[in-house]
Amino acid sequence: MNNALEVSHLTKDYGAFRLEDVSFTVPGGTIMGLIGENGAGKSTTIKCILNLLHRDGGTISVFGMDNLAEEQAVKAQMGVVLDESSFHEGLTPLQLGKTLSRLYPHWDDRYYQDYLIKFQLPGKKTIKTFSRGMKMKLAIAAAFAARPRLLLLDEATSGLDPVVRDEILDEFLNFIQDEHHAILISSHITSDLEKAADYITYLHQGRVAITGAKDELLETYGKLVCGKADLEKVDKSLLKGCRVGQFGCEALVKNRHAFLRRYPDLTVDPVTLEDIMVLTGKGDAQ
Amino acid sequence: MMGLIYKDVVALKKQLSTLLVFVVVYGGFCIAGVLDFSIIGALITVFGLTIPMSSVALDDAAHWDRYVVSTPAGRSGIVAGKYLFTLLVILVSFLAGTAFMVSLSLLGFTDTPPLQLMVTNLSCAAATLLLDAILLPFLLKYGAERARVISMITFILIFGGGILLMRVMDNGSPLPSLPDWMGNTLPVLLGLLVAGGFALSYTIAQGIYLRKEF
Repeated sequence: MNNALEVSHLTKDYGAFRLEDVSFTVPGGTIMGLIGENGAGKSTTIKCILNLLHRDGGTISVFGMDNLAEEQAVKAQMGVVLDESSFHEGLTPLQLGKTLSRLYPHWDDRYYQDYLIKFQLPGKKTIKTFSRGMKMKLAIAAAFAARPRLLLLDEATSGLDPVVRDEILDEFLNFIQDEHHAILISSHITSDLEKAADYITYLHQGRVAITGAKDELLETYGKLVCGKADLEKVDKSLLKGCRVGQFGCEALVKNRHAFLRRYPDLTVDPVTLEDIMVLTGKGDAQ
Repeated sequence: MMGLIYKDVVALKKQLSTLLVFVVVYGGFCIAGVLDFSIIGALITVFGLTIPMSSVALDDAAHWDRYVVSTPAGRSGIVAGKYLFTLLVILVSFLAGTAFMVSLSLLGFTDTPPLQLMVTNLSCAAATLLLDAILLPFLLKYGAERARVISMITFILIFGGGILLMRVMDNGSPLPSLPDWMGNTLPVLLGLLVAGGFALSYTIAQGIYLRKEF
């Protein structure tokens, strides 16, 4: 299985914020979910891949091509959905299609029209009459019609209702049936990623806090729910973060099976991606 | 790049129709003898300056440049598209304006010979090209909103300078005369200055966009 995207030791310094030594790989035929709190560096990472920002260090390769040295060839292989609509409000989807067909070498107009119908987007109405959800669907239709091998989606499912989100996640899953295709998606909606992603990279304060196969992460990590007295007895090196409340404590356990062997009397629940995010964040805060 | 020009034309359709109304109204005034025919030449400058500026303003409002940079067109495609669009606007304005003026001249609405009308329009088109060469790098660096101040300063300097020159001439002060060789080759030299200025401006704008972050 070839890698669709390799990000290695990526660094970007803004002064007040620094994306530091970010490395992860997206194998072909998979979806990588990029999660993290606001300002963790998700959009910065995606912008560096797209060369919207100039990185200070590291390398990025797409299907084995350097994203800067072979920029045009790399971008011909990528479909992009940015966090907010960047299309002229006065254009109609059909006019937008005509514009983009001259920018993307593999543009498939029939595919684009099919998606407009599928997403119930009127081809002749101006984009300014569209809701946020409709604009996002239009961006997704355009990204698919570019016939990319790698989709980069920055908060692409935000602003969509659960029914449409589910429908779009199905499209993403169809897309990666071809093992030469892959998706990198950043999202706050961790439930979507739990449903669709194969791999997860969690960015925390500009660094990779966790990266790996989603199923493995959910299987390995656990959530300890206990009282304050029990928490004090636990070896802190087994935990990644904890939240101490008035009525009890929650902690993220790095390896729940090993933990339970050592503390069989304590309760460790399975985790969700949201638990991993929240408890890691809380661990830092404390 | 053709896609970007197509987008500019479609996105500015409403403004272009408004400007067309200007042509009809001013053309009517010219036929009626209220205004001199040289006003059509001035319209070439108005079109050549305002249309590219509006197109950058619309791109800014939509964050369109950020999207285009992420497509195969990339940074260089945006700059090339904008310069080509500007050239196209000036060319179409020049051709349409000249065709209009020459037709009216041939129909006897003005005594000015067609060749002189063409030269007037060509001078206006060249001046517009030079002004755009100054303004486009600022527009692409700072965006339409912030570059507006720079545009105003440029206009004040150029038109203020022109008025000052006319005052000097009206007062009878002699202007330094050009050497013969320069007088004969002046049109060619000005043409080279305009073409060279536009090419230099394009290179500078490419450099600006290469460093830009989105």
